[in-house]
Amino acid sequence: MALQEICGLSDAPYMKSRTHFLKSTEEEMKNSTSNIENCYSLSAPPFENPMQNLNAIQQHGEKSGIKIDFDHGTTTLGFKYQGGVLLAVDSRATGGQFIGSQSMKKIVEINDYMLGTLAGGAADCVYWDRVLTQECRLHELRNKERISVAAASKIMANIAHEFKGMGLSMGMMLAGYDKRGPGLYYVDNDAQRTPGNVFSVGSGSIYAFGVLDSGYRWDLTDEEAQELGRRAIYHATFRDAYSGGIVRVYQVTKDGWINISNTDCMELHYKYAEEKK
Amino acid sequence: METVIGIRGPDFVMLAADCVQASSIVVMKSDHNKIHKIADKIAMATIGDAGDSNQFTEFISKNLALYKMRNGYELSPKAAAHFTRRNLADYLRSRTPYQVNMFLGGFDDKEGPELHFIDYLANAKSLPFGAQGYGGYFSASILDRYYHDKLTEAESYEILKKCVAEIQKRLIVNLKNFNVVVIDKNGIKNLEPITSVKLDAAIAAAQGAQGVRAH
Amino acid sequence: MSILAYNGGCVVAMRGKDCVAIATDHRFGVQAQTIDTDFEKVHQVAPKMFLGLVGLQTDILTVRERLAFRKKLYEIRENREMTPKVFSSMLSNFLYERRFGPYFIEPVIAGLDPKTSEPFICNMDLIGCPNVPDDFVVAGTCGEQLYGMCETLWKPDLEPDQLFEVISQSMINAFDRDAISGWGASVYIIEKDKITVKKLKTRMD
Repeated sequence: MALQEICGLSDAPYMKSRTHFLKSTEEEMKNSTSNIENCYSLSAPPFENPMQNLNAIQQHGEKSGIKIDFDHGTTTLGFKYQGGVLLAVDSRATGGQFIGSQSMKKIVEINDYMLGTLAGGAADCVYWDRVLTQECRLHELRNKERISVAAASKIMANIAHEFKGMGLSMGMMLAGYDKRGPGLYYVDNDAQRTPGNVFSVGSGSIYAFGVLDSGYRWDLTDEEAQELGRRAIYHATFRDAYSGGIVRVYQVTKDGWINISNTDCMELHYKYAEEKK
Repeated sequence: METVIGIRGPDFVMLAADCVQASSIVVMKSDHNKIHKIADKIAMATIGDAGDSNQFTEFISKNLALYKMRNGYELSPKAAAHFTRRNLADYLRSRTPYQVNMFLGGFDDKEGPELHFIDYLANAKSLPFGAQGYGGYFSASILDRYYHDKLTEAESYEILKKCVAEIQKRLIVNLKNFNVVVIDKNGIKNLEPITSVKLDAAIAAAQGAQGVRAH
Repeated sequence: MSILAYNGGCVVAMRGKDCVAIATDHRFGVQAQTIDTDFEKVHQVAPKMFLGLVGLQTDILTVRERLAFRKKLYEIRENREMTPKVFSSMLSNFLYERRFGPYFIEPVIAGLDPKTSEPFICNMDLIGCPNVPDDFVVAGTCGEQLYGMCETLWKPDLEPDQLFEVISQSMINAFDRDAISGWGASVYIIEKDKITVKKLKTRMD
């Protein structure tokens, strides 16, 4: 043994049995692909005590230009009414004042009966929505029934709570239809989770709320509801620099979700301007 | 936390401002008037740093009065807005800048109604409608949605009511009362203030008429 | 956020064959909020000369007023019209006066010499370092995008109608990638015997 150690032979692959070789490779593979097997296992931040130090780093980033915070440019809204749940979103993605995309999909189709909206850090929302999709499907396979919106949103809130203070940035709505009827929940990166009738999230939400609140009633018809959602998002894109692109409208009923329309803001603007004359 | 709103119609200008005077976390007064008459047909709705807004409006209005005494005629609303902006801009680069945001509304016998947006940086712009302060964010889209070129005084007042209702619903700060002033060819006139008490009563009456719904 | 990007907006000017063009967007905003959509950053300062100013709106207004005053004083004293070249020198001098507390603006000048009709374009930084190229100048919050568009579309000796097309496409496609510019645009084409103003239909988001 001592000789082996001196010669450095003990670690050489040809000195090991075949099974051992496979094991170590497996180990190595696992270590470098941790979140394929377990999506909750993300690499730890490269500094200690992230709860405190992340904030310090972000503050310093303002000066040094090394920033790891994301922009929150978005307008999304959702409301319940007699016909189900309606979601409407814009499609602009910005990095600072630069427009990175005008055709982003900010509504994620989780399953045939549930939708999620994204606002905040795009990568955070997309990743965790995908994880949620997986969890929802597993729930369905284990329990032989679809997951409720309440349960799905609880999973999301648990994830958010697990990573709270680590710099996640999400503001999402979950909309769906389950045995309790239409469901609409708001979940964010503080792990705040709350059901409600009318929500709007993102930098343009303040503008969307103005139009939404002054036109909202429980007994809206389907057409009225779709038009209200579309209009609220359009007005937000007009006023808010960080919202724009395409206005996407989705509706969730007892038969699942349907995509109502995807209309370019420019088209809407000139249509509404014409109507005012 | 304060809010001012302005709307320019075809033959009038309407200004609205909240009535809260606050000091740190305390509401000192909720019937404080922030819309000042600064000439026969010009009014200014000012918000900003507690002392500054009163001092500045008074400074402007006294100078307009002085101009009238010296020259025998009044400054037009456009000229008054220009004068206001220029003073604010000069003070901005002094040791004592004024922290004030305002709408200046006026009626010019030749050119009709005018509404000017001026903020504490002396950014200035003539607008058809606008809103400043925290409540301004919530009012902006309502104004966009309901404003049109042939607006009447009554319609304009209704839009203001919608804005106030939205502010009271969504803004975390409690802005109970809003003073409203209209300026037209006959001069400046105070309208009935928009208050949360009256808005609630109107909603209750509407629900009573329809029969209250379960949802 | 830089104070030059507080209100948003952009201006571009280009040289053509015996003509110049200058274009401006229409947005007046306060950071992310769009306040109004008819604020033109380009102004006619002489029959054949336009001045575009972008940056902090309060300084745009102040500089425009003060320059008008200085220009009138010059014309009264000298009893002749100011050429774009002289105007740019005056502007440079004016801006350097505030070397240690500058006006937060970026100017662009475009015009034809009143006598020779020689095209002239020029831009400066906020304390008055002039730059007089023979192709195009840009200023504003989407400067990088404008440079990219202009470098690809511009070529020497464009006729007025071609120049209009090039400057319009450059402007629109540049500010469509910028969150705080846009909301309408105007183009001015300055030729020896006429000035054409055109408004562009653009995205309003």
